[in-house]
Amino acid sequence: MPADYLPILFFAVVAVVLSAIAVLMPALFGPKRPTSVKLAPYESGKLPIGPARRRFSIQYYLYAVLFILFDVEIVFLFPWAVVFRDLAPRWLGLAEAAVFVLILLLGLAYVWKKGGLEWE
Amino acid sequence: MDISRELRERFGPAIVAEQETRDGIPTLWVAQDRFRQVLAYLKSGTDRPYAMLYDLTAIDERARTQRKGQPAADFTVVYHLLSFTRNHDVRVKVALAGAYPVTASITDLWPAANWYEREVWDMFGITFEGHPHLARILMPSTWEGHPLRKEHPARGTEMGPFRLPVEKQEREEEALLFHPEEWGLERHGEDTDFVFLNLGPQHPGTHGLLRIVLQLDGEVILDAVPDIGYHHRGAEKMAERQTWHTFIPYTDRIDYLGGVLNNLPYVLAVETLAGIEVPDRVKVIRVMMAELFRIASHLVWYGTFAQDVGQLTPVFLMFTDRERLFDIVEAITGGRMHPSWFRIGGVAQDLPRGWDGLVRDFLDYLPPRLKEYDKLVMGNPIFKARTQGIGAYTLEEAVEWGVTGPGLRACGLEWDFRKKRPYSGYEGFEFEVPTAQRGDCYDRAVVRVEEMRQSLRIIEQCLDNMPAGQYKADHPLTTPPRKERTMHDIETLIAHFLGVSWGPVIPAGEAFFGIEASKGNTGYYLISDGGIHAYRARIRAPSFPHIQMVPEISRGLMVPDLIAILGSVDFVLADVDR
Amino acid sequence: MDWVADFWIPLIKAVVVVLVLLLGGAYMTWGERKICARFQVRYGPNRAGPFGILQPLADAVKAIFKEEIVPNHVDKIIYVMAPGISFAAVLITFAVIPFGPEVDLFGQRVGLWVGDIEVGLLFLLAIAALGSYGIVLGGWSSNNKYSLLGALRAAAQMISYELILGISLLAVVLLAGSLNLREIVDFQGTWPLLVLQPLGFLIFLIAILAESNRSPFDLPETENELVSGFMTEYGGIKFALYFIAEYTAMVVNSAIVVTIFLGGWKWPALISDLHPLAGVGLFLAKVLFVLFLYVWIRASIPRVRFDKFMRFSWKFMLPLAFVNLLATAAVVAFL
Repeated sequence: MPADYLPILFFAVVAVVLSAIAVLMPALFGPKRPTSVKLAPYESGKLPIGPARRRFSIQYYLYAVLFILFDVEIVFLFPWAVVFRDLAPRWLGLAEAAVFVLILLLGLAYVWKKGGLEWE
Repeated sequence: MDISRELRERFGPAIVAEQETRDGIPTLWVAQDRFRQVLAYLKSGTDRPYAMLYDLTAIDERARTQRKGQPAADFTVVYHLLSFTRNHDVRVKVALAGAYPVTASITDLWPAANWYEREVWDMFGITFEGHPHLARILMPSTWEGHPLRKEHPARGTEMGPFRLPVEKQEREEEALLFHPEEWGLERHGEDTDFVFLNLGPQHPGTHGLLRIVLQLDGEVILDAVPDIGYHHRGAEKMAERQTWHTFIPYTDRIDYLGGVLNNLPYVLAVETLAGIEVPDRVKVIRVMMAELFRIASHLVWYGTFAQDVGQLTPVFLMFTDRERLFDIVEAITGGRMHPSWFRIGGVAQDLPRGWDGLVRDFLDYLPPRLKEYDKLVMGNPIFKARTQGIGAYTLEEAVEWGVTGPGLRACGLEWDFRKKRPYSGYEGFEFEVPTAQRGDCYDRAVVRVEEMRQSLRIIEQCLDNMPAGQYKADHPLTTPPRKERTMHDIETLIAHFLGVSWGPVIPAGEAFFGIEASKGNTGYYLISDGGIHAYRARIRAPSFPHIQMVPEISRGLMVPDLIAILGSVDFVLADVDR
Repeated sequence: MDWVADFWIPLIKAVVVVLVLLLGGAYMTWGERKICARFQVRYGPNRAGPFGILQPLADAVKAIFKEEIVPNHVDKIIYVMAPGISFAAVLITFAVIPFGPEVDLFGQRVGLWVGDIEVGLLFLLAIAALGSYGIVLGGWSSNNKYSLLGALRAAAQMISYELILGISLLAVVLLAGSLNLREIVDFQGTWPLLVLQPLGFLIFLIAILAESNRSPFDLPETENELVSGFMTEYGGIKFALYFIAEYTAMVVNSAIVVTIFLGGWKWPALISDLHPLAGVGLFLAKVLFVLFLYVWIRASIPRVRFDKFMRFSWKFMLPLAFVNLLATAAVVAFL
């Protein structure tokens, strides 16, 4: 029921307002004495060698892509898990889910074999 | 066969002269056009070769008065080689003429010569032809002059007041900006941009002011370029203006965790020059204090190493133990970290009443703690996963790069100066030299942990067998001399007065003395011109070659591994930069 | 519309719970420092008030009055917003957690929870995932190499373990037959799910440590390697906000662990039946226990290496979580 979400909305509003106050508050209180050194990027106290934003190692993104695949699949499993006890016969539901999970794991095995999980 | 005869027979006139030194190390002057062949022969030609480039330094000879038959030279480059198979050293000297001489590099013979030659260039202005990157290493690149040359001022007051206006600060910062191209590093790979990252000097993982510029692909280290010198204080230059006696406190601050382990090689070298033989009590007191400081240094290493791999608690426990140890040091010497307590010809005072109880308590206290740390740190599976197989080098690589101390013993070579060349009476003690086989971060730790136990054994023997006798040698150059003698006749009174007010006059000569310090071999190569100061004092610090080697064992690993490696190498930046 | 029941009570509950959480997070920083200190032969904070009890307040005042530095090279808007996102996400996660039974308060029937929704568990996962935005955006907008590395690590690590979190919860859903957290608590009246799902509990515990960047999986921060990781460029209140978000997350995550695996406020029913407030006390005691576990782990264990941890996630934890799920389903199907 949508009305069930109303308290959560209140809660979210309170949380967000509090966070916003916290983030914006020091602009009112703190001193402001900027210098060029203070405003420089921190790289162990020395001038940075080139910019930080470069084309970066693909490995981090591979995990992200894999995550999206698996996460979408897992969402499908939630309804199954909720009604599992009511399935008749249950073993059929189990078998179906097992096939589904197996396909997922095959995908994982493929990535594994391709070296997609290795860091180089 | 004697190495000097062997070289004479083989190279004939290329061996220009042989020099007498107080330390007995064969010192051969070799013609400038042949010295590379001689060094190559020493490294791999002779049987039982001199495989390690132990030290490489230079001497500005232009103001030296007492050279006793040495060939004419404005500058001398000194190569100090060590043979493990012979347990023998040899020193090769090359005379150079001219104000800014040029000589050949030996970086192709020993990769470890790289930093040493840069240091000599930086300090003396001697150019090494064929060096891959002859840049300043300890001084800022904007520095004018070469500090260890005799014409370079030794005191700040000789240089005019120091000012740092904004423009100068910006210029200096700009000069410290790293340019990958200068080091032959690519900015782009086939399909990625490499990130160049300053790791340090202000970084929690570098144990002090060390900068390592990393070339990263993701988090994988493709290459690393250490940049040292942020902790450089010019200790070698200070030795030329302090008296032999007043330089002792400066030695404490070389490896600032080692305390009297720094005093020891210095006073031993001076005593070798002066021909002082110290009483047995002095020897045993020195051994005991040295071993206490070895434990203190290893405890700091132990805790910080665990901290480096992310374990928060051990460092607090180990520093607490170290404080207990410092309580003993304080009771005996009055100081804690830097007691400056050894003297030329002895130690500063006799042991105080009750010292034995304190030491006994500590001997009972530490072993159970160490046992607990074995479980807490060394036995922890994550700790093992982080350190085993990481940062490994072989024995050959270790020798090639000049690694000494626990880092060498972790590769399986049982080499410890305390056993191989006993000094200060170590031959009278029973202890083992722990070794390990794989040469990785974990094995270096294994060696150090066991060394602490062996040190406790040595301390116990000191405690049980402390000889009676004087705490200072009965020698005119003992500084300060024994007080009770001064009131008897005018001669000893004058000697005392001069020794204290002016400083002892150490006879002209050269001597090197190396000991097994906590981080590796620390050695002092002292040259006296018959004055109250050292004419030249060379500090052979173990951390310098160890840091030089870090890129070799870091390539292909990740940033966390580099931090583990730095922790396992156990260096002190003051020891690297001096 | 019943204004009291449908508007004022939820609003008051929201404000009270947010403030309690805030206080909880703040005092968790104090608690951790105190407990860690005891592990490490130290006293910890002991200057501000008795036992240093006012330390969090002193820290807060200091953070507020510090100079606000927004460096030149950052994406200003995102840089300022990011800590707020982190903090808000952590707070909102708590919205679906029941911390007690229904009680009579001032003549009203009040449930000791903020929201009672059918898809509570999904909501929990969804909002918890939002927290990683705060970290990733903060690290990215800082335009600093350490921050960027931290952010990239955070992105890879948090999403990987979110997956495992999800799968380990599937087994719970399967047993309880509901996504509603109140019902999951009710399900644990006689036995906590820890007993039925020991493996699932372990998987969940590791995943939630990883998800909240806590030691030994504090890899996006890793002082020794990345200085401060994603928050290297943050100072003052914005740093404090990240900091307190992390500690509030510990409190909230402990509440989640307690609710899903340790029987929430209900188990053992012997105690929670005594008095409605006994249930709340039970809940609190369990949360404190899990929090102690957090600190204990932090004080004892070294940090794992990032790439190994990622491999561990995909090659070991993920298949293991699936096995646990299917095994649970099989047991339910055939017994």
